[in-house]
Amino acid sequence: MTDTHCPYCALQCAQKLGGDPIAAEPRAFPTNVGGMCQKGWTSAELLRAQDRITTPLRRTPTGFEPVGWDEALDDIAARVQAIQAEHGPDGVAVFGGGGLTNEKAYQLGKFARLALRTRLIDYNGRFCMSSAAAAANRTLGIDRGLPFPLTDLNDADVVVLFGSNLADTMPPAVQHLGGVRERGGLIVVDPRVSATAKLTEEGGGEHVQLVPGTDLVFILGLLHIVFAESLFDSDYLAARVDGVDAVRRSVAEWWPERVAATTGVSETQLRRIARILADASPHRGGKGAFLLTGRGSEQHVDGTDTVTAVINLALTLGLVGAERGGYGAITGQGNGQGGREHGQKSDQLPGYRMIVDPAAREHVAAVWGVDPDAIPGAGVPAVQLLMSLGQPDGPRALFVHGSNVLVSAPDAGTIRRRVESLDLVVVCDFIPSETAMLADYILPVTQWAEEEGTMTGLEGRVLRRRKAVEAPDGVRSELEIFSELAARLDAPSTWPTEPREVYDELRLASAGGRADYAGISYDRLDAGEALYWPCPSEDHPGTPRLFAESFPTPTGKAKMIAVRAVGPDDVLRADAPVWLVTGRVLQHYQSGAQTRRVAKLNDSMPRAYVEIHPVLAQRIGVEGIDNISITSRRGSMVAQARISPDIRPDTVFVPFHFADEGMVNAVTSSATDPVSGMPEFKVCAVQISREATA
Amino acid sequence: MKVVVIGAGMVGNRFVDELGRIAPDVDVDLLGEESYEPYNRVLLTELVAGRVDLAGLALPTPDEGRVRVRPGAAALEIDRERRCVVTAQGEFEYDHLVLATGARGRVIPIPGLRDGLPRGAHVLRSLDDARDISAAALNVDRAVVIGGGPLGIELACGLQHRGVSVTVMSIMPTMLDRDLDPVVAQIAESTAKDLGIDFVGNAQIASVAVSDGRVTAVRLEDGTSYPAGLVVLAAGTAPETGLAGAAGLETNMGIVVGEDLRTTLDPRISAIGDCAETPSGVSGLVAPGWAQARALARSIAHDTELELPPISGSAMRLKAVGMSVVTMGIRASTASERDRVVTLSDPRERRHVELVARGDTLVGVTCVGAPDLAAHLSTQFDRPGMLPADPMLLLMGTGSMGVVESASPTTMPAATTVCRCNGVTKGDLVHAWDCGSTTVEALASATLATTGCGGCKKLVCGIVDWLQETDPPEISQASDEAREATVPSR
Repeated sequence: MTDTHCPYCALQCAQKLGGDPIAAEPRAFPTNVGGMCQKGWTSAELLRAQDRITTPLRRTPTGFEPVGWDEALDDIAARVQAIQAEHGPDGVAVFGGGGLTNEKAYQLGKFARLALRTRLIDYNGRFCMSSAAAAANRTLGIDRGLPFPLTDLNDADVVVLFGSNLADTMPPAVQHLGGVRERGGLIVVDPRVSATAKLTEEGGGEHVQLVPGTDLVFILGLLHIVFAESLFDSDYLAARVDGVDAVRRSVAEWWPERVAATTGVSETQLRRIARILADASPHRGGKGAFLLTGRGSEQHVDGTDTVTAVINLALTLGLVGAERGGYGAITGQGNGQGGREHGQKSDQLPGYRMIVDPAAREHVAAVWGVDPDAIPGAGVPAVQLLMSLGQPDGPRALFVHGSNVLVSAPDAGTIRRRVESLDLVVVCDFIPSETAMLADYILPVTQWAEEEGTMTGLEGRVLRRRKAVEAPDGVRSELEIFSELAARLDAPSTWPTEPREVYDELRLASAGGRADYAGISYDRLDAGEALYWPCPSEDHPGTPRLFAESFPTPTGKAKMIAVRAVGPDDVLRADAPVWLVTGRVLQHYQSGAQTRRVAKLNDSMPRAYVEIHPVLAQRIGVEGIDNISITSRRGSMVAQARISPDIRPDTVFVPFHFADEGMVNAVTSSATDPVSGMPEFKVCAVQISREATA
Repeated sequence: MKVVVIGAGMVGNRFVDELGRIAPDVDVDLLGEESYEPYNRVLLTELVAGRVDLAGLALPTPDEGRVRVRPGAAALEIDRERRCVVTAQGEFEYDHLVLATGARGRVIPIPGLRDGLPRGAHVLRSLDDARDISAAALNVDRAVVIGGGPLGIELACGLQHRGVSVTVMSIMPTMLDRDLDPVVAQIAESTAKDLGIDFVGNAQIASVAVSDGRVTAVRLEDGTSYPAGLVVLAAGTAPETGLAGAAGLETNMGIVVGEDLRTTLDPRISAIGDCAETPSGVSGLVAPGWAQARALARSIAHDTELELPPISGSAMRLKAVGMSVVTMGIRASTASERDRVVTLSDPRERRHVELVARGDTLVGVTCVGAPDLAAHLSTQFDRPGMLPADPMLLLMGTGSMGVVESASPTTMPAATTVCRCNGVTKGDLVHAWDCGSTTVEALASATLATTGCGGCKKLVCGIVDWLQETDPPEISQASDEAREATVPSR
């Protein structure tokens, strides 16, 4: 049996792989407490995917043909060189993923900068964690999803989930809410009565069913009451926080009755929640409160400001760095945390260093053995990058690693046309995802249980992924592909293919950075140590909890920032009178490229659906199993109605894991947050109608 | 461009904030008469009620580089020739002048009040007024609030909350008469009564009795006398037009402006907020004032034509301890024949909800004593299209009208999912039981139920108990054969 972790979400449930046929079972670990959801239980099925790719494939006018590795790599390198000769280094772009191991994420960033010499690299974590990251960085000075172990939640008086449906996205994590539910302190803010919102029933706490896109106003309303009623922790604010006055002033205009009219949350509920939070805070004798954000509150054009407001609230109550309490973002993808720390982001170098910082460039260049000037400058965030593909001044070639952008990016119809307009598309994947099917070359790579590496879970704890089976013949790891292509492109530096060697280089590159992995070795991890970054040296115990003493900002204090509510980019209008929100179901992960290939998962959730309130269903003449079509300015989709009182009557919900006619991202908006570049997946205005069933 | 704003109230301050955001090249002086920095006037009644402390009123400070806020700079004169405003702090030249002078509390000319307010009598317009009233509330047992509009009711509730017995007097027959039809007002009056607030409608006030320069009572024409150590006047406001009038600008009820918010006689001078009389009237509420501030800022910054924001149909949301009243748009008595009016009246619970639907739009909402529904209906008001086929369904809010699924292991249907994490239904568990998995542990290994978040453990135990009772396993037959057959059926 091999001890490893589940291939999917950021909870990274610990599991054992073994047997014949190989199967997964859970093992004891603090985050999953011995539990595993349907996705984890069936994860070994992925290793037996029927349409696994085992040889490089080249596009021909009639389909794909198998080619040898050398032929494929030679041709790709030659075409890259030709494109760059004509269009410059930025003629080639790279799109990465939050599911890649730390080793691959790190090497991908290095490959883009040194081998392709392009500044244009970004990744799908931009769709996931970027708003929370931007907000945490600018207020707390550091971005680690949860700056405390997940197990801390159990002892708090209150946990607020702003737009997180973890009962579907990472079910075993629900165990950590047991204590707070017993005390009636779980508060779930969501336009839907999600599976997570239902955990507040029967005395577990309360559900706040606000209007989509009004999260920020709701939080400003809570801040208003905390200031108006003097519920804040004045000693904490004086000692540890800058910028309080501007925030206090900025919320003076959001009195509860005004907030109620925008959010649909009554002033009574708003006041009650503000007081519950205050009473849970240490300065009023409470046992602590955790404020956690998920994609529901983050995937908006004001997502960074929304998370900033949540952090302001946590600071105001003296929660951040308290013995029990604080702010955290619930990371989505398996390595959403590590994937954003080591250079996949358009503006970052390993160790969460900023690419425009001369000292950072110097440090990383020294590790890489190149001149700092050899490292290109900052690129552009994901949506901007994807929308520029094939445009007059945009890239002509794209490398895709660990991402299925054709399903997971907003305004997917436009993205498809952009990808189709390219001269060269290279997709590294192990199955023919929707994006791979548009490639000129599909390079078959190893997956999860076929490789060694590390992942960084939602708590900032580094985890070992271990090899349990041999990869099929013909498949190579991405580290080998980077090495082969780097050689063909005459890249400087060294290109090891052993994960441990790459990881040791990553440790050096991250040393002294915000996400410092220098002291976290494979040996220590294999010996069973629980190591959370930052961990600057091998004799350092790691940092499970941040902020107890100070904040990693220039002043050592946290910085509260006043924000303004701007509301969704889209507005309701006569031809688009209904809000659309998107999200996840328990059975699928991300674009569904993997989970749709697992029979048990696909059988229980084979296609998209439209969750609609009975009143709205009646209004458009839908009953029973009718199909509903949803249309926006971008495009349309069709799926079966699922009539349910669990959603607001002015809103419909569609899960985004599906392709073809059920692909909701054909409809979503590509408007982005001006700070983080996060697209506004979570709300847009749509027209809905009953679709005649065939 | 040099812009001077007279009046640092909520509308003047918002205008400066908006302008500073969108026009990088302006240079603004914001002249405030009071010695305080701009504060939220709307919350003064909350200050009296003790639900907001003083620091909670401070408004955002505009960008210091381009905007100078000048408290205590009362404008004395507008010199239109020289295009400057004269204050005690000096003169301020302008390319454009914005008047946001607001309104002042109306003092009714009756004996006791007409020669200046005696001690214990106040209007509520400024922070000083609110502090004086709050201080007075500490020392008196009884107060009279004159005026039955939103300000009067908020104030009355606030004072009552502080332990002062309050009587509200209105010249109108019913409470909140501009916002509520009489039958609804009755319910609001009952709510107030429950709180201990007396309402006297059709009140013909004769005089305010004063002794030693301090109020002692309010007397009505019919001879009744209401003892009170505190009298607050909330009987309407009058736009502050003195400065504009003296500068030769056209004034009527307020400072007369056109569709573009410019004064009729001088396009370099605009007026917004409570002091402005637009072609659709004088506002008196903050929301239309803010909309005017935004529109004017845009038209000045971008030198574009301005679309005058509407004043009518503005929402009224009472901010009163113990009372919830929200009105928007049309009410039952003003609905037309083609409108659908849906009413829920529950006087004993002090609750009344009224909707007016016109075609596919919710054009009127009145909610008394129903804050949750009021919040929901506010978000549905004036939305384009998609009203429920039957507008009555709006009364269920976001809820489901009590459709409850059975949570009992006995009565829940077989298809009910018991373990969400692993998609196990009650039927799956019963099947596994029949195949020999007759303990919670055995059911877990057969079906994977309880192996995710563990949240269904209680329910699975309940199902085991129920099956023990109705379908006990045969003691001798815990056969391995049967057990093998149960490898997950899904």
